[in-house]
Amino acid sequence: MQQDRSWKSVVMLVFVGSMLLLAAGGAQAVPSFARQTGMACEACHTVFPELTPFGRNFKLHAYTIDNLPQVSGMNANKDQTLALNQLPPLSFMFQASYTSTKAKVPDTQAGTGSVPADALAKNGQVLFPQQASLFYAGRIAPNFGAFVQMTYDGTSGTFGWDNTDIRYARPANDDFLWGVSANNNPTVQDLWNTTPAWQSPFDQRSATAPSPGQSTMIDGGLVDAGVAGLSVYGSWRNSLFGEFGVYHSAPAAAVVDSTSSNVVRGVAPYWRLAYERQWDRSSWEFGTYGVDARLYPGGGTALDGATNRYRDWALDSQYQYIGDEHLVCVTATYIREQQQLDAFHAAGLSSNASDRLTTIRIGSSYYYQRRYGGALGVFSTTGSADAALYPGGTPLTGYANSIPDSKGWSSELDWVPYENTKFALQYTAYNKFNGGSSNYDGSGRSARDNNTLYLLSWINF
Amino acid sequence: MHKFIALALATLFTAGASAAPQDAKALASGVCSACHGPEGRSVSPVFPRLAGQQSAYIMLQLDAFRGHLRSDPNAQAYMWGMSSQLGDDTIKELADYYAAQKPVPGQPGDSKLVAAGAEIYGKGVPAQGVPACASCHGASAEGAAAFPRLGGQHVDYLVAQLQGFQSGLRSNAPIMSAVVRTLTAEQIKAVAAYAASR
Repeated sequence: MQQDRSWKSVVMLVFVGSMLLLAAGGAQAVPSFARQTGMACEACHTVFPELTPFGRNFKLHAYTIDNLPQVSGMNANKDQTLALNQLPPLSFMFQASYTSTKAKVPDTQAGTGSVPADALAKNGQVLFPQQASLFYAGRIAPNFGAFVQMTYDGTSGTFGWDNTDIRYARPANDDFLWGVSANNNPTVQDLWNTTPAWQSPFDQRSATAPSPGQSTMIDGGLVDAGVAGLSVYGSWRNSLFGEFGVYHSAPAAAVVDSTSSNVVRGVAPYWRLAYERQWDRSSWEFGTYGVDARLYPGGGTALDGATNRYRDWALDSQYQYIGDEHLVCVTATYIREQQQLDAFHAAGLSSNASDRLTTIRIGSSYYYQRRYGGALGVFSTTGSADAALYPGGTPLTGYANSIPDSKGWSSELDWVPYENTKFALQYTAYNKFNGGSSNYDGSGRSARDNNTLYLLSWINF
Repeated sequence: MHKFIALALATLFTAGASAAPQDAKALASGVCSACHGPEGRSVSPVFPRLAGQQSAYIMLQLDAFRGHLRSDPNAQAYMWGMSSQLGDDTIKELADYYAAQKPVPGQPGDSKLVAAGAEIYGKGVPAQGVPACASCHGASAEGAAAFPRLGGQHVDYLVAQLQGFQSGLRSNAPIMSAVVRTLTAEQIKAVAAYAASR
């Protein structure tokens, strides 16, 4: 009876989770996987959240490798109908942060009430927590597992649904494994740390610092709009990986109507192909991924007629060396987005009928004994000039030069005193921000004014 | 697209109930192979090759992991968990499965190092009280029962084990702890290179 109840509560949790499928940012590693497998974090992660080859294999197998006493069930055909951990695989995550930008940003209430139009917010923002999450992460049934995250957001003060990846996987034979993933963030189901959802080494960013105004749909646009997707995947000898899926609109805590933004017309196909080679202590991956989304702009306009079509295709590559003392990872991704802006153009919201947006990110990290580390990376997003799409006039977020370009570099120092505890000191510098170096917003702000010092403490238990 | 979704959902919800309990072979290819490679031929030297390993040795080690008697860092990180739910019968089946696989052929190493290692392996280092490895591990490093096969193993893995015996990190083999006590770092490298090349 007790066991029956716990099974039901887990099913309920997962059911509610898959129904809600709301999205937010953030990327985590979870101790419940360690509890379930009995293996230390280092088996699956070099340093969380970056995955080792074994970690990729664990995810590929739908988080089902399990070394805990089980509640089991079997039918008359000797089919295993239940294999449930006696304790649910739950974890908790807590992040606190400090953010300081080179120049103060405008007060959010500037120009309203008694707040002067040139009022500035206080610099040195402390978030405690920046983010706090509860996870169900582990096996649900034979071949069936979940990574489900609920998050309290320290900036909005709300509790909402976050990254979710519920998957089924089974080997067809010794060489080939296939699976299905239901998830709410394109690439959250991916195995490598090159793709947008789990990008290393700069997987964590300040929640309060200014960030560049433009990104491609696969690189945050769709997850911000809210989507739910289903994909099938296959892996041959842990070497060739292919995936095809579709995403449908599923915005957070809302029904889809004209108040929603970027609503997918029908479904948006998603694909992924990757090749990985492992030798000695190294692994190298090369792949491509992308999405083709026709979106109704919404946001006060009816969800019919013309759409904006965003075709993203990306290349990515990752090299990883995992030694006893030295760990190195280099990741790179190139995303090219072709925008056919029929809806925007007809409404005068873009000057061109079609635009382009290109993002490049290259990062490298080094850890000594998985304890002391550092990372260095460059990033760039560039695109077509479009006066209507990229308007000036708004302090901080405007585009005085009508181009979306943002470029810069990031560096980070890390201290990982325990496998589940990380302290990071990160500095991000911008050469260009929203299309300019100096006076990019038309209100006198320079790109380097947005340079950000970010201190993060991150614990998982 | 709707058909695709329906098909995928149907697969998801009907396939769940059809997995039979795993036998040792399925365990080996579905779980162990993630680190130890297909048929026990691992790629990374962090994980020992198990293909052609002595069955009795594998059984002893799995039992030592399960009982937390072998506690070198990787044993704790990976194998304590992995072995915790294994029954004696499954351990025997897994050991027999790997023992039956074709071992990886030895890789020729640095010739000077290998030559120095051959001397230690075949004759020991009498002046340091080190007996010949061949007397237990066999002339071709094929092992015998509780004495593991060393031939075809990763050099780095063998070096790490010898260092572990010396430092006490791996303490579940009192014979080896005594044997390696006086070996120098250079001798460890040499004898590992030779044994792995067999």
